[in-house]
Amino acid sequence: MFKNLLKKKLVSALALTTVATLSLGVVAPSSQAASTTIRIYVAADTNILDLWEKTLIPAFSKEYPDYDVKVTFDRNGANDTQTLAKITAAVAKKRDPGMDLIDGGITTTLGSAGLLFPLYTGLVPNLKMVPKVLVTNGKGGIPYRASTVLMAYNSKNVKTPPKTLADVLTWIKANPGKFTYNAPSGGGSGYSFVQTVLDSQLSASEILKLQTGADKETQVKWAKGWDILRGLNKFTYGQNGTYPTNNAGTLDLLAKGLVDLAPVWSDQIASAIKAGTMPKDVKYYGISGPSLTGGPAFLGIPATGKNRSAARYLVNWVLSPTAQNLIVAGNMNGIPVIPASKLDPVIGATVSDINIAAIRAGYISANAADLRTAWAAEVPGK
Amino acid sequence: MSKSKEVTVGDSLAVKKTARLSPLGFFMALPPVLVILFFIGGPILLAFSFTLGFTTGPNEIVALIGQEIYTKTNWWGTLEAYKSVFSDSRFPGNLKATLEITFVATTLVIVLALGMAIYQRIIGGRLATILVALSLVPLFVPVVISAFAIRTFYDGTGFFKTIFYHFGLTFPTLTMTNNAVTIGVIWTSLPFAILMISSGLQSVPDALIETAQDAGAGFMRIIATVMIPLAFVPIVIATTFTAIGIMGSFTIPYFLGANQPTMLGVEISNFFGPYNRPQHSIVMAFVIFVAASGIGFFYIWANVRSAKQSGRI
Repeated sequence: MFKNLLKKKLVSALALTTVATLSLGVVAPSSQAASTTIRIYVAADTNILDLWEKTLIPAFSKEYPDYDVKVTFDRNGANDTQTLAKITAAVAKKRDPGMDLIDGGITTTLGSAGLLFPLYTGLVPNLKMVPKVLVTNGKGGIPYRASTVLMAYNSKNVKTPPKTLADVLTWIKANPGKFTYNAPSGGGSGYSFVQTVLDSQLSASEILKLQTGADKETQVKWAKGWDILRGLNKFTYGQNGTYPTNNAGTLDLLAKGLVDLAPVWSDQIASAIKAGTMPKDVKYYGISGPSLTGGPAFLGIPATGKNRSAARYLVNWVLSPTAQNLIVAGNMNGIPVIPASKLDPVIGATVSDINIAAIRAGYISANAADLRTAWAAEVPGK
Repeated sequence: MSKSKEVTVGDSLAVKKTARLSPLGFFMALPPVLVILFFIGGPILLAFSFTLGFTTGPNEIVALIGQEIYTKTNWWGTLEAYKSVFSDSRFPGNLKATLEITFVATTLVIVLALGMAIYQRIIGGRLATILVALSLVPLFVPVVISAFAIRTFYDGTGFFKTIFYHFGLTFPTLTMTNNAVTIGVIWTSLPFAILMISSGLQSVPDALIETAQDAGAGFMRIIATVMIPLAFVPIVIATTFTAIGIMGSFTIPYFLGANQPTMLGVEISNFFGPYNRPQHSIVMAFVIFVAASGIGFFYIWANVRSAKQSGRI
């Protein structure tokens, strides 16, 4: 008897909740005027999370009080594969993937697979200020900030840092143990140095092939670059050709004065010097012939996201001079995607000599994955 | 005649008792069995089918995203993914490093733990208690923290390096070598082994040790013929758990090891993430699984042996 009662109660309770959820799901979108929640998924390092939570979102909420922004964080994109699968499945079934805006490395992959809400300047007017090349490369992803890999050096020990890649290679051999870069699998700064050395042995058309499509045939021509990198094993910091595991490892060696020259991310080194975790003697600059790689970070709106039009407002605002000022001047130390002339004059002056469209791009993700595994097989410990 | 009757009565009683208890025991064991079946067994089977090239159904998305995926060619699958991993120039080095570190570190851990436990059991006293308590401290330090601490201690500006530098000597930088990994895994595995072995030795009755002494047995002889055999099962448990734990370790080799060769735990994560070759990483996971089952066999063997000795089977 009692059991039956309990069962009845349970069933009715279940029915009630089901009805409630269903009606909520139906009602919520129509009541958009009151308050809409934009769910943003950040798959990046913690400095990007801070950029959103401490800088961008508070400023956006002040300007657009009708919108709530909720952040889900996935450190360093550790769950990228699952996220990708989730969005792929959701778009295929025309369901809401549970996120309205994505900031992470998977955006371009989603874009090339046609899983993003297509955007053009009519929907996001501020996109007009962004160089066309970047927008095209995004394949549906929206470039909103950039960073590049630069060479950092300890000015106490190095008076005239080498300006070209060839000079850098000569410098490494002349100063054994004073240079290092991290394993490409662990961080973009080391990856960029490796790709730059490989690129120096390729023609422009071959580099373009690797930047635009998976290409096993062109990868064979990496051989010369691997020889050069193997030749550095004896002269880098780690013994027997060992390298730091990630970006932080390189910065750590630089901060402790164990190395005098190393490739680093522009935003990470600027933030470290500002925060005092890097000695003031450490300075940074760009090399040429070829330059180290870098590029924009892209935002993406999943095609079936529930609040995709609200996400568009946020994207458009992020591209506005107000938000771009915050990206450059805040703790992020990013590079803006709109011309420096549109920014606050003081802030704009700090980035006026960077031509974002000229930053050398990395390889497409399939070739990048091949580069990482090939490096591990060809270079360390050889 | 009467003796055999007694035995049958005893046996049938035991059978009755077991029969009465068995449904209850079965249901008590059911939840963990079900959890393992559905949440571990299922995914393992799925992963195994993926290594054989079954790339449809639940494996479809991961096959879609990954690179260098081998799809089955026969009804039972294909061994191409296994061939690809085994023919990779890095694999022998990685496997060797994994097994070597596991063997060396486990041996050292057990020797150190035995030393500590015997000291506490035979000599005892306040100092021994303090030492054992101290040796358990690493149990309460998260592995990430200890890995980072060990790295700071042995790296280019580390403790030994600095001390030796003041005497004009150069101490080698141990970080980014597999020696540092061995030191690290010993540091993290020691507390559990000490806990296990010292409790095993504590249960050896004083009477037995004293009898052996009275019979004229020396210190080493008491250890070898009385204490270790009586604490055999806890020692085997400590050995197998230490070895399996070390074999699958990730954090320590990731922070302290060389790029290549590295332990398979790190390599699996590399192949799964940065190299985007999920099939390869699962193949390697099965290699570790097979090696760990080999160790697990000893654990079961020891348990069965002790059960036989005490007459439970």
